[in-house]
Amino acid sequence: MRGIAAPIVMIALAGAGLTGVPAAARNASVQPTTPDRSLLDRYCVSCHNTRQQTAGLAFDTKDVGRVGTEPRTWERVARQLRSGMMPPPGSPRPDPVSSQAFAAALEAEIDTAAAASPRPGRPVIHRLNRAEYANAIRDLLDIEIDASSLLPADESLGGFDNIGGVLSISPSLLERYLSAAGKISRLAVGDPTIGPAFASKTYEAPQTVFQDARMSEDLPFGSRGGLAVRHHFPLDAEYVCRIRLRRNILGYVRGLTDPHLLEVRLDGTRVKRFTIGGNRQLAPAPLSFTGVIPGDPQWEAYALTADEGLEIRFRATAGPHVVAVSFLDEAFEPEGVLQPELTGLGLAYSEFSSAPSGPWGPSVDTVSIDGPFHATGVGETPSRRRLLSCRPATADHEEACARQIISTVARSGYRGTVDDKDVNRLIDFYRAGRKDTASFEGGIQAAVERLLVDPRFLFRIERDPPDIARGSAYHISDVERASRLSFFLWSSIPDDPLLEAAARGTLHEPVTLETHVKRMIADDRASALVDNFAVQWLALRQLRPVTLDAEIFTEYDGNLRDAFLQETQRFVQDQLRQDRSVLDLLTAKYTFVNERLARHYGIRGVYGNHYRRIAVGGERVGLLGHGSILTATSYPTRTSPVLRGRWLLDTLLGAPPPPPPPDIPALPSSGEHDRKLTMRQRTEQHRRNPACASCHVRMDPLGFALENFDAIGRWRTTGETGEPIDAAGALPDGTTFRGVSGVRTLVTSRPEEFVRVLTGKLMTYALGRAVDEDDMPAIRAVVREAAPGNYRWSALMLGIVRSVPFTMRQAEP
Amino acid sequence: MIVTKRSLPRRTLLRGLGAAIALPFLDSMVPALTRSVKAAAPIHRLSVVYVPNGIVMSDWTPTAEGAYELTPILRPLASFQDRLIVLTGLRNGPPNYAVHGAASTRFLTTEPPLASTGSIVEAGISADQMVAKHFARETQLASLELSLESPFAGVCDVGSSCVYTDTISWRSRTTPLPMEHNPRVVFERLFGEADTTDPKARLARLASRRSLLDSVADSIADLRQQLGGADRVKVNEHLDAIRDIERQIQKVEEQGARELPAVERPAGVPATFLEQARLMFDLQVLAYQSDLTRVITFMMGRELSGRSYPEIGFYEGHHPTSHHQNDPVKIAKLTRVNAHHAVQFAYFLERLRSTADGDGSLLDHVTIVYGGGMSDGNSHSPDNLPILVAGGGAGQLKGGRHLRFPEGTPVANLHATLLPKLGVQADRFGNSTGALSGL
Repeated sequence: MRGIAAPIVMIALAGAGLTGVPAAARNASVQPTTPDRSLLDRYCVSCHNTRQQTAGLAFDTKDVGRVGTEPRTWERVARQLRSGMMPPPGSPRPDPVSSQAFAAALEAEIDTAAAASPRPGRPVIHRLNRAEYANAIRDLLDIEIDASSLLPADESLGGFDNIGGVLSISPSLLERYLSAAGKISRLAVGDPTIGPAFASKTYEAPQTVFQDARMSEDLPFGSRGGLAVRHHFPLDAEYVCRIRLRRNILGYVRGLTDPHLLEVRLDGTRVKRFTIGGNRQLAPAPLSFTGVIPGDPQWEAYALTADEGLEIRFRATAGPHVVAVSFLDEAFEPEGVLQPELTGLGLAYSEFSSAPSGPWGPSVDTVSIDGPFHATGVGETPSRRRLLSCRPATADHEEACARQIISTVARSGYRGTVDDKDVNRLIDFYRAGRKDTASFEGGIQAAVERLLVDPRFLFRIERDPPDIARGSAYHISDVERASRLSFFLWSSIPDDPLLEAAARGTLHEPVTLETHVKRMIADDRASALVDNFAVQWLALRQLRPVTLDAEIFTEYDGNLRDAFLQETQRFVQDQLRQDRSVLDLLTAKYTFVNERLARHYGIRGVYGNHYRRIAVGGERVGLLGHGSILTATSYPTRTSPVLRGRWLLDTLLGAPPPPPPPDIPALPSSGEHDRKLTMRQRTEQHRRNPACASCHVRMDPLGFALENFDAIGRWRTTGETGEPIDAAGALPDGTTFRGVSGVRTLVTSRPEEFVRVLTGKLMTYALGRAVDEDDMPAIRAVVREAAPGNYRWSALMLGIVRSVPFTMRQAEP
Repeated sequence: MIVTKRSLPRRTLLRGLGAAIALPFLDSMVPALTRSVKAAAPIHRLSVVYVPNGIVMSDWTPTAEGAYELTPILRPLASFQDRLIVLTGLRNGPPNYAVHGAASTRFLTTEPPLASTGSIVEAGISADQMVAKHFARETQLASLELSLESPFAGVCDVGSSCVYTDTISWRSRTTPLPMEHNPRVVFERLFGEADTTDPKARLARLASRRSLLDSVADSIADLRQQLGGADRVKVNEHLDAIRDIERQIQKVEEQGARELPAVERPAGVPATFLEQARLMFDLQVLAYQSDLTRVITFMMGRELSGRSYPEIGFYEGHHPTSHHQNDPVKIAKLTRVNAHHAVQFAYFLERLRSTADGDGSLLDHVTIVYGGGMSDGNSHSPDNLPILVAGGGAGQLKGGRHLRFPEGTPVANLHATLLPKLGVQADRFGNSTGALSGL
């Protein structure tokens, strides 16, 4: 029942030292011995006894010699001691060394008991989330879909959106699945009846992105602006591509002063070149009056309709093609008196020098691809090649061929759990479709559509073996293991080698398992670990959306936001690829930037829009120097030491503070007082209120250490009110630190704690359920075993896939 | 008593869209039997059609009160003269800092935009959304918000959020509703992903969906036997969802005789204003006819719209021309734009009038507010707004009149008058000071 039960036990995995345990005690190598009950009697029993039952605990009657009978309770005791939360402030406390030794002894007992009788938990049925669905379609049918247009976003729990317990299904979601199955199966098979209403699509260039450089690796060198889209052309046919240019709010196409060349390319080959702008005989209205006073009527007409003829018709073969629309990049020098950069209103009104257009010329707003028209055939697409493994020569061969195709796709789609009954169900649909459409492929399409709404496809289902004793822990089958592996490492279905190893029954063997895990991590599909795990772990989905409201941070736009995300994703990807120690996340002296990001960081000598690895030092070392994280933990108008502190506690230190109590007043803004208060002075008001202090005393100092980064991650030496930044801080136990390097050292000097936090997060993600006390022995084991190799990513991954919760399951109680 | 489907069929030709085809709908379909029982109380719908950048008031306002004469801008509505009530004297609040944003935002909310350049936007709940809440349980969609221009991100009027000039509908004080300008998206919101509207094809599609669901239910039944408690809860959830959709299909099949005109799913945004405007009005008629929603707001243009109308020889851009500085040539051009909008509106009225609904036509059973939140565009005047109310209001509105109210009467009084007619219990709305007498 775990996972569906509501309490979110996103366990504070360690957190030692953050509330009062001196480093000396933590670092003392503690030899586990039998827990000594005298500590309990002296410091705990006065509240936790049979009479008072504080927190429902009575230690006077608990047998500390038999920890294994109540592992969850003792796990909580160990955690309270480790984090220094108990005994409560003001009460007599054991000295830190004995307290840590007691906790270690408890943990050792718990681990021993867990090894003897494992409690692996019981994940519930798990609906594929949107990312998993899209990946599964890609791997099953070799077709890329835009899942966000087909399915709604998923609920998340504890920061991850792959938690089985909250992935529910509703009638409206089922409707979406039904319609997605129809669309996908028609595209995959190549339904000849597909028309323009089905397949036409309009792609929008993000309005907050400046088109001032080469925008994508799919656009030619020497290009500027525009948009490259990967469009699935459903049939061999004619298509119409229409381009709309960016307008200002009054409807004028921007950037028409000089002529510009606009190119349209299909898979890199130019199919059309337009000239736009430069009609200099006509006079626009004066800049400052544009939109209020019309200029030359002909100029007005031109500016309003300049993009009307940007339309081409071309033939394309069925399948995915890249349509690239871009301008030719031209050097320009602004003439006349240098003007200040426009922001706010001017930026929205001006059609000459404003965002999202600029002095460089016009920008692309949308690219529509309409069609198919005059189709000549279904063509050959990657998905047809993948799916139609045989092509019946005569009607007699059809049924056998259909069976072959359907068995193959069902084996993959149902992840190895297919039986004759399942296949026959699909064959029924093949037959009906064959009859209705009078075509073999129409039958295949009907069967694929049916498969895509089957519970075996939409859900990950694990079944107790027959005759298993109720509540007992058992090893999952190799077939189930294959799915657990592929959804963990790829967010997708298992591939053939995995299913074959599972079918042979060898996947659980240590050598085979290790080979597969290493193979999977090296595979491109493992980028899912970055996109889904790392991005969610680091809370980067909160990176605030950009609007053009940029009164304070004029530099923050869509380009910078994208660059932030690219930097962190490429960095983590590289760490994974190279199988570095996970501690390198914080200490690596390199990162990935393009020109824009380098300029933002004040790094010289980086030109062009592509990302490259560069060496960094000082404040930019490791993740804590990434603009993505620093911006995601700020407010739109200023930094927030509280948000940053909470992020550090939750993400790296594993001691998330509870949510704030209701009805707390906001901090006064700096302008509300006679004299301006610094952020530090304002935040210190937290400490005056004891209800606030207990958490803020841990959060705020950590956050202040990062105050040298402003709200969009730039380095600074003075704060928002002009005061010099004071980045020094101390933990309640007296550990002091200064600045980002101090925080980095704080984390890396306790590698075991950081790795435990990361392992817990990875375990949550891998299992698709919240981890709890029962999982702590497994997490400790992963950390322990990864230590000799200095905590490499592969060691963590292997540790997790070999762990009890990953390899076993609790039968229904 | 058995009544034989007397509200059916209703095949109507849809102009400008090719062949008329019958189309059954999910959800919204009321079997003829139940429908006829309710025939005594026709469905009352609300429509708001907004025009931006002010109106040339001298060419809009009739001189006569009561029975009125047609003015240059109202002339395109001649054949509906007896169905219109022209309202003069209503005021859209005191001048506000973002004049265009205030015009659109206050029109239905009566509250000015929050003076902020930040990402925080705030106004008030709009009158249409009060009605939408009231009907939410009755229809598949509580309301539709439509426009003919794509929205902008970022800042517009004097640096305030573009939301204020892009929409007139606010679900709550802080939730502006985006207006959809792509007919394809509107169509999909109404009718799902069907791309053919041939009723046979649609019924066949429903049948195949049903067999799909039946078969999936079988698979689940098999699975269920092998699963434990918590998993069964999930699987039952899935079964419930299946049954829910099956019930909807059944509902549609039961009243398969109900026929409606239908459109092909549009491929995207049509290239010209005329095509787009007509298609959007057609979709609105369809939405009412099928009772998929009862509340629609529609912006013929966003405030600050700089659109040109080459089809009537107007190339200059609407907003700049609206600052006419009393130049008679510009004023004459603006009048043509205003009348051009009225022509499109007449098309909508005609479509509503020619579509049977219950005992009358859709036009009989709708209350339409047509107008804008600004009178003279040159001075951004919020006084003496151009507003008319069209339609029969389900028997509650009597047209053919020009009503003049004391200057400064809040436009909120109009909302306070209409809301009860639409079934919303509200003594007042926003800054209303009472009901409009005689409406």
